[in-house]
Amino acid sequence: MGLVQGFLHPALLWGAALASVPLIIHLLNRRRHRPLAWAAMRFVQAAHRRTRRRVQLENWLLLFLRMAAVAVLALAIARPFIGTESPLASLTERRRDLVLVLDGSASTGYRDVRSVHEALLERAREILSQLDGTRGDRARLYFAGRGCLRLATHSPEDALAALTTLSGPLDEPLDLAALVSELVTLAREDAGGSGHSALEVRLLTDLQRNAFAPPAPAEADAPAVDPLATGLDELHALGIELLVEDLGPPVPQPANLAVEAILPLTPLLGAGLASEIAVRVRNHGPGSRSGVRVALALDGERSPSQELDIDAHGSAQAVFLVALDEPGFHALEAEIEGDRLAVDDRRAEVLSVPAPLRVLLVNGAPSEDLGRDEVGILRAALEPPDDEAVVRALGSSYAPFLCTEITAPAFGAPETPLEEFDVVVLANVPAVPTQAIEALERWVAQGGCLLVTLGDRSADPSAVEALNGRLWRSDETGLLPARLGRLESGDPQAGVYYRATTFAEDHPALSFFADERWRPYLTELPVYAFVTCEPLSRARVLARLDDAAASPLLLERAYERGRVFLWTTSIDADWNAFPRSPATLIPLVHELLRYGGTGILPPRSAPVGASLALELEGFPRAAMLVRPDGARAALEREPRETDGGRFEIGPLGPLDRAGLWRVEAEGSGPHWIAAQLQPSESDLARIAPEELEGLHPAWRLARAGDAPDGTEEDPARQGELWRWLAAATLLLLVAETLWAAWIGRGRRLVP
Amino acid sequence: MKATQSAAPLDPAVLDRLEGLALVARTVVEGFMSGHHRSPQRGSSVEFAQHRQYVPGDELRALDWKIFARSDRLVVKEFVAETNFACHLLVDASESMAFGSLAWTKFDYARWCAAALAHLVIRQRDAAGLVLFDEGVRDKVPPRTGLGQESEMLQALEQARPGGATGVGSVLNWLSGRLRRRGIVVLFSDLFDEPEVLIEGLRRLRHAGHEPIVFQVVDPQELEFDYTGLLRLEGLEGAGRMLVDPNAIRNAYREEFARHTGELARAARELSLDLVQLSTAQPLDVALSTYLAHRIARARARG
Repeated sequence: MGLVQGFLHPALLWGAALASVPLIIHLLNRRRHRPLAWAAMRFVQAAHRRTRRRVQLENWLLLFLRMAAVAVLALAIARPFIGTESPLASLTERRRDLVLVLDGSASTGYRDVRSVHEALLERAREILSQLDGTRGDRARLYFAGRGCLRLATHSPEDALAALTTLSGPLDEPLDLAALVSELVTLAREDAGGSGHSALEVRLLTDLQRNAFAPPAPAEADAPAVDPLATGLDELHALGIELLVEDLGPPVPQPANLAVEAILPLTPLLGAGLASEIAVRVRNHGPGSRSGVRVALALDGERSPSQELDIDAHGSAQAVFLVALDEPGFHALEAEIEGDRLAVDDRRAEVLSVPAPLRVLLVNGAPSEDLGRDEVGILRAALEPPDDEAVVRALGSSYAPFLCTEITAPAFGAPETPLEEFDVVVLANVPAVPTQAIEALERWVAQGGCLLVTLGDRSADPSAVEALNGRLWRSDETGLLPARLGRLESGDPQAGVYYRATTFAEDHPALSFFADERWRPYLTELPVYAFVTCEPLSRARVLARLDDAAASPLLLERAYERGRVFLWTTSIDADWNAFPRSPATLIPLVHELLRYGGTGILPPRSAPVGASLALELEGFPRAAMLVRPDGARAALEREPRETDGGRFEIGPLGPLDRAGLWRVEAEGSGPHWIAAQLQPSESDLARIAPEELEGLHPAWRLARAGDAPDGTEEDPARQGELWRWLAAATLLLLVAETLWAAWIGRGRRLVP
Repeated sequence: MKATQSAAPLDPAVLDRLEGLALVARTVVEGFMSGHHRSPQRGSSVEFAQHRQYVPGDELRALDWKIFARSDRLVVKEFVAETNFACHLLVDASESMAFGSLAWTKFDYARWCAAALAHLVIRQRDAAGLVLFDEGVRDKVPPRTGLGQESEMLQALEQARPGGATGVGSVLNWLSGRLRRRGIVVLFSDLFDEPEVLIEGLRRLRHAGHEPIVFQVVDPQELEFDYTGLLRLEGLEGAGRMLVDPNAIRNAYREEFARHTGELARAARELSLDLVQLSTAQPLDVALSTYLAHRIARARARG
């Protein structure tokens, strides 16, 4: 075996050619001489004879030092490595740069005699104890879940200390793409410009199949570029192998039962309604299970448990009938008997039970005929007539909207005080009584929701002028979000009409139509007539028509704590086809009025690791966030008042533990939040080792007999000499400097 | 190397300075001709030549007391016989004398010195002769007196060009048997010759009854070798070429040069003759007068 086994960067050996530069300079200098006719040659010749050998020796030694310094530096940059049998072996260093990643996913909580997580920790301690910080070994410790938590970045001692802070696995899945992305960053930093990284990356995991080889997504949902494959490609190109140590259960498919979902079976949740809640339990094991006990608690009150028989790899659900007495949010928590993986034996859900909205419909064009009545179809959409099947299903005749209808002249009369309503709809009302304007403005300012729709009675110029005069002001203190203009009509007979082709997809009231399946119900319906308008600067246009001017169809403005919407066409079927499309009108008015009347509240359930913001009715004083394990922490961020007069706190989180979280504040609460484990994490099926290495060449499974320190194959860790060579370069440069000074002193001019 | 053609044989400025030193001029001749060599010719068929004003330093016995009695003037009598001694000026005109790091070459400096001495000697009505040589005698002006002699010598000096190899020792050997009039032999040369041959030539001159005075004319760079950067030395007198690093050999060069001059100085002491090193950077008048003053002082001390 030779002195050197190879070079990490052999191409850089060409740099050794630079060693010829001092020689070239020396030869060029010899050409740069000055001719001089000289008389006393006998003395020069005698002196030259005397000094020739010494001077040549001095000069050649100086040249050698310079050339050697360059050559050795080039050699150091090429990073030679040697084998253990090389005579230089004693000079090499075994410095290791280890990146140790612990799988922190929820599946590692699986417990046999001990949990997988405990096995990971023990193996990590064993690996880290083999490193020696005094030798220059470096250890970077990561705990990987949905993200990649960096626990230690320097010495092995730091990493060992950081291990003691890990009390258990995360309630998250392992996101390998995020992990690989982090590793790519590290490898790039380590490689610098050389294109080769000498990092030793080791992943301790349970080899859960869903993490390493998840089911392929549907073709439509598949991303154009797989970030995991891209990251692995880059790691492989940088010369890194991901050494994977399998510390999972000894069987390919460990048995596990999991509460997979809590689903309301009742189509409509309402206060006082009896509701059916299904708890779905999945059996991930290879054998069927019988007599699995399932329990459900509503707001902490448990229902009688039920028993389920579940086939292998199948699921079953237990249905609980619960009574949701009060509107608001209700916490549900389902539980099964414990098994080896505890984290998925419980699951929480928070359901919102809305209170019925009180709606005042001001009918500007009443008619006995439902189809011709201005609010007839609207009322039918908000308050459908009782259906026996529905009543039977719900157990009562529950309605989410409580409508009161009056005619336009009656609006503002004392017998219909606005304070008793959440929403007022002015439907084709030509003129609002003057005495009602002030009360209406005050009511909206206090949080009411006003929807103004137009029609034949409100569109003639005098009516428009009256509406503008009473509901619009140039200083934007009026209620209307726009100044009304003239009537614009198409020709239904000739097929000339308009459509609402653009709308605010992010708006809570219209987000229903952002789904491609429902979009045509909003964008394809014809509008035959509308009133043009000039929006206020503070108004937001939520939908526009496809006429040349892109005229607004639906506008919104905030009016202090309330909200005003303007629908520039009719709410009946005179000017458009919306009322003839229940699939459009019902979600549109339901979402719009619910958003306007109460605001659409953000969800209270989220996957583990996500963050949530809560909207509360009153100001939350001294708010505390209580974790599922009971730990409490004060919320330091000040609540923010929303446009609707509610108070938003958060974002809360990340919600790093599955279960029921809650916010408690003085005088209110608890406000429940459900953090939910990703169901796929409960499937403990493991990937076969040979399958892992077939997934990508960057994966390599650690096998019995592999050297524990991972030095068996990577030449970069077989013993590098570059530090010695760098030191030799330094010594050569120092020697050259001293030698040149010594020569200069010997030759300097003696006076 | 500077062109020798451009330099006049005797720099007028130098002559001016020498003219201004009347006393020095006087002592120059005395120093050469009278001071040290008065005894051999005294009292033999002397012929009165002229009177001249007494100057301090003249011998009292030469005073013309009769004139002093008549006129209270101190004059001395001079005789033709006092010019029987000749001053032979030997100027090395070999190629090595063509070197000069200043505006003039060693040869220029040597002939200025020779011309100055010739001028002063002849002006004092003493005989002066000139020999120009390289490895052999190239030109010769026999010693005579009179202004015509001076112009002949100056013309010979002016026409001379340095060239040819150095043969100082052999030339001295050759001349020692051929200089008919004994006297002072003043040699101007860089003495870049083999010391043994050189010393032998001087010894023979000495044995022939001459008194050699050797002026070694050297350039300051030949003394110091104070160059930087690589030099390609092209040896004069066909000494070949050599690429040298002055820094590397400077000290050794100086040692070699010092060894050569030391060897010559030792021989000069043994032969009781004067060896004076003249650097061409040194003002000519200062160099000559300094030497002459030293010589007079030495003569007085002896006698």
